[in-house]
Amino acid sequence: MVKEVERAGIPVVHVCTVTPISMTVGANRIVPAVAIPHPLGNPALSMEEEKQIRRKILDTALKALSTEVEEQTIFEVE
Amino acid sequence: MKLEVGYIDITDIQFSDKASLQDGVLYVDRDAITAMILEDERIRAVELDIAKPGESVRITPVKDVIEPRVKVEGPGEIFPGVLSKVQTVGSGRTHVLRGAAVVTTGKIVGFQEGIIDMTGLGAEYTPFSKTFNLVANFTPVDGLTAHDYENALRLAGLKMAKALGELGREVEPNEVKTYEHLPVMQGAEKYPELPRVGYVQMLQSQGLMHDTYVYGVDMKQSLTTMISPTEVLDGAIISGNCVSACDKNTTYHHLNNPVIHDLFEAHGKTLNFAAMIITNENVYLADKERSSDWTAKLVEYLDLDGVIISQEGFGNPDTDLIMNCKKIEAVGTRTVIITDEYAGRDGTSQSLADADASADAVVTGGNANQVVVLPKLDKVIGTLDYVDKIAGGFENNLQEDGSIVVELQAITGATNELGFNRLSAR
Repeated sequence: MVKEVERAGIPVVHVCTVTPISMTVGANRIVPAVAIPHPLGNPALSMEEEKQIRRKILDTALKALSTEVEEQTIFEVE
Repeated sequence: MKLEVGYIDITDIQFSDKASLQDGVLYVDRDAITAMILEDERIRAVELDIAKPGESVRITPVKDVIEPRVKVEGPGEIFPGVLSKVQTVGSGRTHVLRGAAVVTTGKIVGFQEGIIDMTGLGAEYTPFSKTFNLVANFTPVDGLTAHDYENALRLAGLKMAKALGELGREVEPNEVKTYEHLPVMQGAEKYPELPRVGYVQMLQSQGLMHDTYVYGVDMKQSLTTMISPTEVLDGAIISGNCVSACDKNTTYHHLNNPVIHDLFEAHGKTLNFAAMIITNENVYLADKERSSDWTAKLVEYLDLDGVIISQEGFGNPDTDLIMNCKKIEAVGTRTVIITDEYAGRDGTSQSLADADASADAVVTGGNANQVVVLPKLDKVIGTLDYVDKIAGGFENNLQEDGSIVVELQAITGATNELGFNRLSAR
């Protein structure tokens, strides 16, 4: 899906846990997620902490979307 | 570590009012087994049944399959750290009821259990159509969580296998084999000319009831470590898996791991089976990196010339597999990987979710997406309620004539990644 959308000229950020697979399939902008069963949250944390995680991932994804890349790039969540 | 395994061939299984094992016939005391199972207050009811090779019987949804074994001599008991105290097993003598199996079924995670057909096309794809099976169908008490249900069912299956195994304690085996795993230096001195080959076994540990236990330890909480292959033959590794049936390792698979058996067969002749490493398949990327780093570290530390890596499951564990392969190759040790494929029903899609050029020697258990039609069988043990939802099933796949259309994925052991299969393509 990432590649087809990009083929249509729209840049895509792939948020995913297993970034090596994302690299293998050819995504250009990659943001690491939390874990496979819960990519955008963590049931061990409080709702408030989870919200912060989601905010950070989203901010990183938006930053990635607005960054020019020359090669496949992983944007680490700070 | 030296283990003698006495194989007692089982040629029939029957219910009886007295449990015994005579002339290869396993007599099961149904009331005694039922009472033992119901000691666990989490289980409300259990139905015991027998399924023999060739009978028109379908068992589903299958959770685990376990081979009855008993420790006759040497330290520890079968299934250490789970049914008995933690004590190192893998030496002394163990008796095996070869040809018998305990099969557990229940609606824990209905869609992630399997199908065993005792006859017809489906029987070709599962090794458990050839065993004499004592099947237990469990109903939990109301309100039991899925995790507790899985735990209760897992322990009940192991207890049943242990109780049946006990009947073989005093029986003279049909065949006795000796498996010896030498300490590293002794092995190197004894076989200086032979290549040092190791086995890296990846164990399913994704959580959410995709778990494997080693001496009772949940493998997702362990770092990559070493084990003697003889310990595995005594039940040190057990399955707690509710996951796609075709390529999960049941406890039976662990007890009879063909990679271990074949390496022992070649040991001292064409190679030196120097070490066995067990690692996990966790759901955090950092865990995947750490565990595969550790695998490569151990391989380098043990100075292995070659390594066989077996995967369990599919999807994101493909990444663990490729990481293990890539990192072990990077320390200069050649690898062969054993996996299976999800290449689509026509077989033209990419087989694995991940890939690397260093994975240039691959053994496959087959394409799990391959569609097969299973004929209507006379008797169902368990329920057909899940055959459309089971992984590998799909909506309306139960045909009017009673046949079922499924992908191989739904059949227990069909594309097993230890190579525990009977079909091959040549």
